[in-house]
Order: sequence, then C-alpha cells, then structure tokens
Amino acid sequence: MPRSKPPRIGDLDPSPDAPAGRRPLALAGEASLRRRLVSRDEQALVELIELASPWLLGVTQGMLSDPDEAREVVLEVFAAAWDRVDSLGDEHDALMPWLLRIARNRAIDRLRRRRRFKLKLARAEAYGELPPDRVRAVEVDEAAQPGWHVHQSVHAALDVLPPEQREVVRLAYFRGFTHSEIAKELAIPMGTVKTRLRLAFDKLRTSLAPIKDWIA
Amino acid sequence: MTAHAWYIENRAAFVARSLEPGEERTFRDHLVRCDECPREVARLERELGWLPMGTDPVAPPPGFARQMAAEILDRPSRWRRHLPLAVAAGLALVSLGASMSARHEGRELRERLASRESRLAALEDTLSVLRRANMVLQTQISMNGHEQGGLLIFQDAVSHRWCVIVHGLPPAPSGSKYQFWFITETGMVRSVEVVADTRRPAFMTLPMPGVAAPVMGAALTMEPMANWSDEPRGVTLAHVTF
Repeated sequence: MPRSKPPRIGDLDPSPDAPAGRRPLALAGEASLRRRLVSRDEQALVELIELASPWLLGVTQGMLSDPDEAREVVLEVFAAAWDRVDSLGDEHDALMPWLLRIARNRAIDRLRRRRRFKLKLARAEAYGELPPDRVRAVEVDEAAQPGWHVHQSVHAALDVLPPEQREVVRLAYFRGFTHSEIAKELAIPMGTVKTRLRLAFDKLRTSLAPIKDWIA
Repeated sequence: MTAHAWYIENRAAFVARSLEPGEERTFRDHLVRCDECPREVARLERELGWLPMGTDPVAPPPGFARQMAAEILDRPSRWRRHLPLAVAAGLALVSLGASMSARHEGRELRERLASRESRLAALEDTLSVLRRANMVLQTQISMNGHEQGGLLIFQDAVSHRWCVIVHGLPPAPSGSKYQFWFITETGMVRSVEVVADTRRPAFMTLPMPGVAAPVMGAALTMEPMANWSDEPRGVTLAHVTF
C-alpha cells in the first residue's frame, strides 16, 4: 500500500548491466516493446524486466512478505510473459495490467496453497510490514521511474475513497485476504465487507478508466 | 435475485480474489458454462488492471534484469518444453488438412458439441451434488396457513455445496420476493432470491456461506422487495434445522 516516501528506483542499476537503450525505450511506449517481445527480441525482455520488476516486486513482496519467494513469482511472471506474449490481445489487454494480474494471482495461489497467512501475520507483527534489514532504502526520484504517474493516479483514486472502504481494498487487493479474513481482521460482518468492497470497486473502476499507458 | 445474481454480485470479488476458496471454485466452474460472466469478468479485469500499481515499487538489486532474463532464456529444457506442443501442433495441422473439405460442417458440429458439453457439464455438476449428498432434508412450504409446495435440500459434504429444490410455489406477489437463508450458530445469512414457478421446480446449487459459524439449517421467507438487509423481516414460509 502507499507510503508517503516510496523508494527511489529510477536510477538503480548503474552497472554495465543497464541496457543502453533504456531511456529511449521509455519514450517508445508499450506498443513498441510488445512488438519486439513478440518478435523474440531478447533485449526487449531485459528492458521489460527493468521497467516492470519494481512494480511486480512491490506487489508480490507486499503480499508474500518474503523477498525470495517474491522473486520466484516475478521470475514465473516474466517467463510466462516471454512464452505467451503473442497470445495477448491488442487494444484492450495492456501488457502491464496483464503482468500485474499474473503476479497477483500467483502470489495469492502461493499464499493459499502453502497456508502462509499465519506465518505472514507473525512476520508482520514481529517486523512490521517487512523485515527491516531486507528493505532497500533508496532515494526518491519520482520523475525517473516509468509508471510513477500511474502510481500517483491509483493513489489519488484510493485517497478519495472513504477510509473504511480503502481499508477493505487494502486487505483484499494488496494483501490477498478473503472476505472472511477481512471480516475477522476488522471485526465487522461479512456482509459489510462485501458491501464496502463492491462500493469501492465501483468507484475505482471509474477513477482508473482514464489510465492508458504506463511507460510514457 | 436468481441463482445467477450471486455470480453477478460477486464478479468483482472474483476478480479481486477475495472470494473464499470454495466460492472461487464454484465461480470458476460457472465461467465455463456462462456466456455473460466471462465477458464481464474480463471487462472488470481491464478496468481494475492498474490497481496493483498502487503498491510502492521495490528496488531490485543491481543486475537483476540481466540475471532474470538469462534464467528465462537459458532454461535447459526450453526446446524440449516446446516439443510436445510442436508435435501436437503438427498433428493438428495434419488433422486440419484432412478435414479441409468438411471444415464448415466441422465448425458447426464443434459449436454444437461445445454447447452440449457445456450444458452437460452444468447438469453433471448439479447431479454430482445430488448423488454425493450425505444428507437430504425435506419440509413443506406453508403460505397463509396452507401447504404450498415443498423445499428439498441435498447436502454435499465433499464440495461443501447444497442443491436446493423449491417446488409448487407460485410466483411471488407484486412487491415481494422469496428469499433463501442459511441458519448458522451466529444468526441468519442471506443467500439467493428464489424465483418460483408452479409449473416447474427451481434448482439452485449454493456454496456454503463464508462464515466461521457452522450452518445449522435453512429458511425460506417472503420479503418485501426492498429488503436487502442481513436479517429477514418478512414471513417465514419454510424452516428446517439439522
């Protein structure tokens, strides 16, 4: 979930690993990247990972509370993207939401399959959101981070929700809780959870509709 | 509300993955045999697709992208992974070539077959609940002091679902609706609206309510159309407890 001071990631990877074409790619947009991925351009895969991995790691690490497992999920997501990008539709199926959806689904599958909720909650209680020694604190450079404007738009959409609706969205969407788990966590009836989620999603669908591209 | 209304109401929850695991399986099964829900679920996935970017990004370590790309590109069984697909594709091509002359007829047959398979899957699913039922409950429905049809409940302990059959009940009076409820240790839990027709029974396959308290029975009430509360306010027509 949103923090007021997110980590700076725009200037990461200053090593020789950083591809020379990274900045021009940000201008080229998602369509170009997709075309190159479909044509099996391996450099495009590297650039996709550079652009998308901070967000995918954010999602998976936030849900799994385990950086190693989060990395495994992100690897699975990019492998799936590399294998199946040509099956993605054109206009309506944007690449980034597709990757995010795969990442969320796989993270939730892991949470449920391995019954990690208790472990996760214990860790959260013991360390806060994440073990402090495993969080990489870096400077903020918002403008340099591709996708930052989408991050801000999502925050704006979440900020206008009533706090009680925002809280159930946080638990359902960013933590992978089910209705009954949310009800237990917040000590409210299941029906209330469902109503709040439904109302929140109705608003979010409208608020997020204008977002079209994430790289620009 | 019909049984399908439960799926409509829970589409966003399905997309968010906030349904209980049993409910999620039920919803996924439904997607196979529904024309409308897969389309609406896809639309919701698009509309909420950017929401995960509300999460703060996490900085990957240096060299992360190159290393990850290398792992993906150098998967040792990469070629072998695609071999079965290639063989299958080859066989499909041979099959396609052999059936070129009958392609049109073939497509029609496939569509009809898919439609029938979908209907068959739905029937088999309902039948499986009936056949696996470890408990069957039956009670009369009373309206205005007169017997008016019956309520049958088949409980399937394997899939944690009920097949509920309501028969002999006339359509609900104007301004009213029939409402099915679960009775749990902690109170009533709203389930689906029953759309009744005296000419044929209403079948509903229902997942257990996602509450911690065990289900102890069920009730059918006639509610004012405007009652969407978590508590019944109308007349009880049938009531059964284990």
